[in-house]
Amino acid sequence: MYKYNSVVPGDEKKYLNALYDRVEEGLNQGLLPVDVFNDEKVFRAEMERIFTRTWVFVGHESEIPNSGDFMLRKVGLDQVIVTRGSKGEINVLLNHCRHRGTEVCHEDKGNATHFRCPYHGWIYKNNGDFVGAPDMRQAYGGRLDAKKWGLLKAPRVDTIHGLIFTCLSDEGPGLREYLGGAAWMFDAIFGLHPDGVRVLAAPERFIVRADWKSGAENFCGDAYHVGTAHYSATASKFIPGDVRETGPNARGYMFENGHGFIGHALRSWFGPPFELWGYPPEIRAQFDLSHLDETQIDMITNVPPTISTIFPNMSYLRFPQPAQPGEFPLAFTSIRLWQPVAPGVMELWNWIVDYKFMPEEYTKRSYIAGQFGFGSGGIFEQDDTAVWEGIAKVGSSPWSRKEKLQLNYQQVRVEPDPNWKGPGKFFNSIYGEYMQEAFWRRWLKDMREST
Amino acid sequence: MDMTNMLDQATLFFTAQNFLSREAKLLDERRFEEWFELLDDEIIYEVPNREVRLAFADEVPEGAFRILDNKALIKIRVDRFNSGYCWSESPPSRTLRVIGSLIVNQSGQPDIIEVESAMLLYRQRGTDMPGDVIPVRRLDQLRLTEAGSKLLRRRALIAETVLHTPNLGVFL
Repeated sequence: MYKYNSVVPGDEKKYLNALYDRVEEGLNQGLLPVDVFNDEKVFRAEMERIFTRTWVFVGHESEIPNSGDFMLRKVGLDQVIVTRGSKGEINVLLNHCRHRGTEVCHEDKGNATHFRCPYHGWIYKNNGDFVGAPDMRQAYGGRLDAKKWGLLKAPRVDTIHGLIFTCLSDEGPGLREYLGGAAWMFDAIFGLHPDGVRVLAAPERFIVRADWKSGAENFCGDAYHVGTAHYSATASKFIPGDVRETGPNARGYMFENGHGFIGHALRSWFGPPFELWGYPPEIRAQFDLSHLDETQIDMITNVPPTISTIFPNMSYLRFPQPAQPGEFPLAFTSIRLWQPVAPGVMELWNWIVDYKFMPEEYTKRSYIAGQFGFGSGGIFEQDDTAVWEGIAKVGSSPWSRKEKLQLNYQQVRVEPDPNWKGPGKFFNSIYGEYMQEAFWRRWLKDMREST
Repeated sequence: MDMTNMLDQATLFFTAQNFLSREAKLLDERRFEEWFELLDDEIIYEVPNREVRLAFADEVPEGAFRILDNKALIKIRVDRFNSGYCWSESPPSRTLRVIGSLIVNQSGQPDIIEVESAMLLYRQRGTDMPGDVIPVRRLDQLRLTEAGSKLLRRRALIAETVLHTPNLGVFL
């Protein structure tokens, strides 16, 4: 299908700078120009200014537990090999031979000490070092420098609770600093047991005809859509209760750098069994909360974080949901990536994770609950993928461009809770779209910074 | 193979072909209640994940599914279609299921046959979207009853590792 790319008067940088000005002026009034959701120039700028510069999520340590394990992942548009090296370290390598550029790894996962290019036979260790090539003496007069001619290697890789992040730039804050208050949230989400969490099964992937930012901004603060977009979950009698109460029971935890967490007042909404996301007593009994502070314990008891986005494109979801109709809801946990593919097109990656200590009897059911709700077959996610398509279409609409159409982010806001003792800010209402605004302001900062 | 056996085989093949063709028509015409009647109470409907691996035997990772439904969960999907709030199928996809390459085998149980088939599912979504093709190899079990054949098990393995239709709002 034809994709409209507007005629640009003057040069592209001028166009982009003018767009950034419009985004900033718009955000000051609770408005957002539609152009940002589907534009060739914006997309290219995002690759250069966000995905090759900031921390992005590539997977979980439990996916590559052993030395030599590897998996193919994406950083922006680049395919990378994430490997577990011989010293246990994690490497993120560009999947292209340094001789002619051919791909050296050809499967989604596996175990290998070396990668051999199928074109001329250059060989690399799983930490990226060049180790040899055919006819080395005749062809090159000796050995090539292992580091200089190694696979391109991400300068920074770091983990938190087993979640692997990489940054293709050696400038800027470290991972913990970048996550800021979101790391404190992760401690309360993934740090409830010393053995940590694991990915239950290989992630699924599917192409969604919506921009990556539609998924990211939805998960960072949009509990408002649930009552309408996901009403079929109530109408089909799948979930107990009424999804239209999801918005009024939602709260917001807002942090620096565009990271936002929705919380749900599950205890006051559904009762004490829904403290700690509704984990059953025998599971809760094995949690170790001794290292959490009072605010974290109060948070997960009363308003646990349920949905979030870590800027730019990683999201988290944990919510109680029945594994079978009529059963008591149980908490499942999903991690997802809104992977940019093209302007207005993303590849959605979905992992279902749970604590390592949990018995198979529980994780089998939490997996079913998770994929029945979210994923390509998930009854909640299916509707998201459909409603977001329109955003990508209007993003490249000639009429909208002519009118400089802006979308409405003008919900009424409450002040942040003055008694909040945790990092960041806590809001007693999700209305206000303040975390979406923060997401877009962070986006704007990255997009502007290198112009 | 003697003549009796051949006739038995032909009957089984006809039974399977007849079932799958009629089932496909019901799904294409969105006659979900009638389709639901064809499901055995013990049905398991699974759509496994698939990964890019060098060995075919490694392509389906253990325990990883896009869909893993029993009859009660399938019923929720049908009720959702009929709820008036199923936005992923509003308007409903126009579909065409082409089913062929049948391989029919006896199972260990006299009333259950195993039917392998290939399906190309064409699906046009929305009002003006280009259509998607979902290529699937199915491994089914049919239970032969006096009231007709019932679908007891379906494993729908999609050829793609990255699904190119944005959701599985249609039955495979």
